[in-house]
Amino acid sequence: MTAGVRFSEMKSGDTILRMEGIEKDFGAVRALDHVDFDLCAGEIHALVGENGAGKSTLMNVLAGRFADYRGHLAVFGRQVRLTNPRQALGLGIGVIYQELSVLGNLTVAENIMLGHEPAGRLPGTLDRRALAAQAQAVLTELEFDLRPDARVAGLSHARQCLVEIAHAIRKDVRLLVFDEPTASLGGDDVGRLFEVIRRLKARGIGIIYISHRLAELPQIADRVTVLRDGKVVGTRGIADCKASALSQMMLGRKLTEMFPPKRNTPGEVILKVRGLARPGAFHDISFDLREGEILGIAGLVGSGRTEIARAVFGADRAAGRCEFLGRPIPRRSPKRCMARGIGMIQEDRKRDGTITGSSVGLNIGISVLDRLSGAVGLLRPRRIRNNARRMIDRMGIRPADPARLIQTLSGGNQQKVVLGRWLSRDPKVLILDEPTQGIDIGTKAQIYRLIMDLAAAGKGIILISSEFFEIVNLADRVLLVRDGRIVREMPGPGTDVDALFAACIGEGDE
Amino acid sequence: MTANPQPPTPAGRRWKPSFQLIQAGTVLALLLVLCAVSASQTETFLTWQNLVYNLLTNAAYLGIMACGMTFVMVAGGFDLSVGSTTTVCSVVAVLALQALTGQPVWVSIVIAVLVTAAAGALLGALNGATISYIGVNPFVATLSTMLVFRGIALILTHGGQTESVPLGLKNTFSQLYWGKVPLFGSETYQVTVPILVFAGVFLICLYVLRFTRFGHYVYAVGGNENASWLAGINTSLVKAATYAICGLTCAVAAVIYTGMSNTAQAASYRGLELVVIASVIVGGTPLGGGSGGLLFTLIGLLLLSVIENLLPQFGVQEEYRNIVRGLIILVVVAVDVLARGAGRKARRT
Repeated sequence: MTAGVRFSEMKSGDTILRMEGIEKDFGAVRALDHVDFDLCAGEIHALVGENGAGKSTLMNVLAGRFADYRGHLAVFGRQVRLTNPRQALGLGIGVIYQELSVLGNLTVAENIMLGHEPAGRLPGTLDRRALAAQAQAVLTELEFDLRPDARVAGLSHARQCLVEIAHAIRKDVRLLVFDEPTASLGGDDVGRLFEVIRRLKARGIGIIYISHRLAELPQIADRVTVLRDGKVVGTRGIADCKASALSQMMLGRKLTEMFPPKRNTPGEVILKVRGLARPGAFHDISFDLREGEILGIAGLVGSGRTEIARAVFGADRAAGRCEFLGRPIPRRSPKRCMARGIGMIQEDRKRDGTITGSSVGLNIGISVLDRLSGAVGLLRPRRIRNNARRMIDRMGIRPADPARLIQTLSGGNQQKVVLGRWLSRDPKVLILDEPTQGIDIGTKAQIYRLIMDLAAAGKGIILISSEFFEIVNLADRVLLVRDGRIVREMPGPGTDVDALFAACIGEGDE
Repeated sequence: MTANPQPPTPAGRRWKPSFQLIQAGTVLALLLVLCAVSASQTETFLTWQNLVYNLLTNAAYLGIMACGMTFVMVAGGFDLSVGSTTTVCSVVAVLALQALTGQPVWVSIVIAVLVTAAAGALLGALNGATISYIGVNPFVATLSTMLVFRGIALILTHGGQTESVPLGLKNTFSQLYWGKVPLFGSETYQVTVPILVFAGVFLICLYVLRFTRFGHYVYAVGGNENASWLAGINTSLVKAATYAICGLTCAVAAVIYTGMSNTAQAASYRGLELVVIASVIVGGTPLGGGSGGLLFTLIGLLLLSVIENLLPQFGVQEEYRNIVRGLIILVVVAVDVLARGAGRKARRT
């Protein structure tokens, strides 16, 4: 095996990937419906769409993760049927997932050469010197400023991303998919990553670029394809489209139609946070939340917004004070906060929300069992059932069956179950961390209405979201979080999504 | 979720049995087939003598411990120390009875039983505290207490065995194991005391796990501990409590079984933990917890007991029996994994 990087001799502009009529079902749900997609060598083709629109499914087809898709796939002019990941890799298709697959306990060089370690003289041994040299050659070739002997766990996310790219390139990749690479990167890192991507492009590598940030597409992409509900809405040259037009294509309707009119009026301060801090996560966080107010917290993934919310709810330890209705909450824990009247919908529904293996009814009732049971903890099955039925009706949970196992519901319905759990508790303050993640548009609009209803009824709402248009359209005030600090406060109504985004990545700071 | 709210079909929601029921069904079917085969092949199997005095009475003390183990395992835990806990409890029972000589018979026995129960619950709570408050992995924690508890039993017995239960108490105390209660006033059909105690423990545990708030929390913690904690449940307390319950059932089993020989030995109940855990798993409570339950454990226990009962009747040599036991556990669980489609293939994505 030779050291260094081999690149294919594809001419820029040749079509290297053609997907035609791709279809894929998950049970009764059609995740991809007759999708056409193509890519040229030396092109950056952006793929955008809501969560659940089918972007990941399409890329998983390309990565050979499904054996049971329908449709035609031609890679480098050859008709192929991709049925396993190794086959896709063999064809030179690489995917950089948002969740990087680098191994933190190994060095940069070991990660880059993983699976291609040069053999030593004795059988089964490793030639460490050759390994370091070959890895260094890859790094030099790509102009990556990384030390081959550094432990990957000690690197920033942005640099780990470079390691992953180097690993993919080492495998002679000619078609590279980036799955939301910038979701957790700040302004400088994004710029550097774009440079790297442009260099790859100049080498004739075809790049599919998945992103949530419509605003960054003009800087990087040549063409954009929009997916919605598993169908292609359209493919456009980047010069022909504006961010607002794209988001309308993604959602299928005008943004303004999805949001209820503002009906809430902020009143007295209900929650006072002072000097909240945890070293390495966030510093000096102070803010007030009023009755009937929707307070948005905007920031990038990894900016500390989730950690701040969890600390307020007592899910993580932190220094600082929280006063609820004028009284401090000592030694905050979820149980104590819940008892006072604070609730929180967690970002990671599967890990922190639903109780797998249990019924919808138990999942709704679990936080109110103290109210639904009689002496010595004996359950009152009828009260539990009635509570579950009430929430199922109010939230429109389908199927409307309290006995169903939670994991058999769709993501949107699971989210409604978790919301129903907290609504049955009727908290005065509700913290919502990415409440619309991974759910369909209809449910989203429903959740927006619900948030507005709660605020109109005098509840204090803290809303965290990566979808800035949600914050702008719902929140009364927005706190901007960057690197664990509140850097600015903006009014919600009237703020431009692009301005909010620019502020989040740190552009235009004095 | 795509937007196609189909109206409910005339057939209505088709009832689909859950995986758990499928597995319970498999194990139950296996149990019935085994019983049917042995009833037709051997003359001894289907006799009151064999089924009640032999099979069920042997199953009873295991079953009592399996009830406690079910709590632990539904909550996602694991307890390797039940054998040792039972040993300590049986030593405590005998020592307490010796200390209480001279008191009226029933007073001594009741007090000794209470002391033993307290000891069992304490040892269990110790496990629970280590696991849920310090955060030691259940396997590691109970592996070490398995050794520690057995060491305690050795020290208490000064070298392996206690003196016998005092003469005045012996006859009454041994009724806890040997006692029989006539059924429908018939002398031929009697039930042993261990079976009755097991039935009592089983029903109480069933009630607690199914119909109390605590029981619901046990399932919730096993299903998703993180989410349960964030939903305001004191998950540490719930977990610790399941181990205490497990220790308590060990104490009950110890009292009954000590009645058999009227002495306690530091070396007894060795390897029992594996049989107890096996009955819970074979019944269908998964290692990760969150589902399963006592009815499942009962079926698993009966299956293992019937096999245990049949091995000698079918003339399986002693040295081959462990292989049969091991393979049966493996086969039942493997069938379950395959039936769920949760095998290797499905886990890959």
